[in-house]
Amino acid sequence: MEPISADFEQELALLREKLEEAEDVRRAITRGEVDAFVVGPGGSGRVLLLANAYQRYRQLVERMSQGAVTATANGHILFANQRFSEMLGVPLAQLYTAPLESYVTVSDRARLSAFLMVSARDSQIEVELNRRDGSSIPVRLSLASFADGYASLLVTDQRPLQWPSVAVDALDSIRSSLGKLNQSLAGDAAGRDALSAIGEEINGLARMIDEMVDVEGSAERKGSL
Amino acid sequence: MTPSNGTTSEKWNLRLYTAGQSPKSLAALDNLKRVCEEHLPGRYSIEVIDLLKNPRLAKDDQIVAIPTLVRKLPEPLRRIVGDLSDTERTLVGLQLRQIK
Repeated sequence: MEPISADFEQELALLREKLEEAEDVRRAITRGEVDAFVVGPGGSGRVLLLANAYQRYRQLVERMSQGAVTATANGHILFANQRFSEMLGVPLAQLYTAPLESYVTVSDRARLSAFLMVSARDSQIEVELNRRDGSSIPVRLSLASFADGYASLLVTDQRPLQWPSVAVDALDSIRSSLGKLNQSLAGDAAGRDALSAIGEEINGLARMIDEMVDVEGSAERKGSL
Repeated sequence: MTPSNGTTSEKWNLRLYTAGQSPKSLAALDNLKRVCEEHLPGRYSIEVIDLLKNPRLAKDDQIVAIPTLVRKLPEPLRRIVGDLSDTERTLVGLQLRQIK
């Protein structure tokens, strides 16, 4: 039997090492310990994420208060979140593959096309969206990313924030109750002082909420307590 | 196999290839820090390479699956693929423990 050459032993060791590495990758995949792969020539290409790798971010996007849209190179909607669907008053299922420009007022469509072609990250444009009920809402489109021909846009409602009607109703109700209480305490100076203090506290709270939502009118316009 | 942790004060340079903040990447970093703090306190450094930001860096260490840990120092170079949740395997892979 011929002795094994040093070259052969070296090659055998190298092959063993490569086999161990391949086995390590296989084992990690089958145990679910990886969630992305590098593909492309010489491992220098792109990173592909497994579907569940960004599940929690996707859930976040689905629930956030801003609209989110990803459009293909030809301007068709590839993905949209629930908020964007609500802005338009159109079911999500109808949005997929629809041309994004069809939901923008005619006068803004050329600007939108130009905006998508520029594809500079963080660039913004303000357009009017057509709602299904015939109304329109001003929005700001911000280009969050542009990769592989897909533009990901954040859609921010530009309408001034308003007090929710339920809050206005609650304020009216409190005002009414305090008014009645004030009348019933006609002869009670201390009670009326306490009531006045409560009224001031609530007015202060209303003003604070006004500032938070940047409402054009003030709490006083809704009526003081 | 000879364990490399020994009693020496040699510096360990580890490089963890991640895909942004993917769950397995975060788990691997967490598991790696825990192992290092337990077995290599004060004598290790971890370099995190985010391949989502720069996928071309995968070529340097021939990375195909993410996360992957590469032991740069002490030599020889070692690779461990996965989230390092199997501590025993991680220790063996890093040659911090002999194969039983």
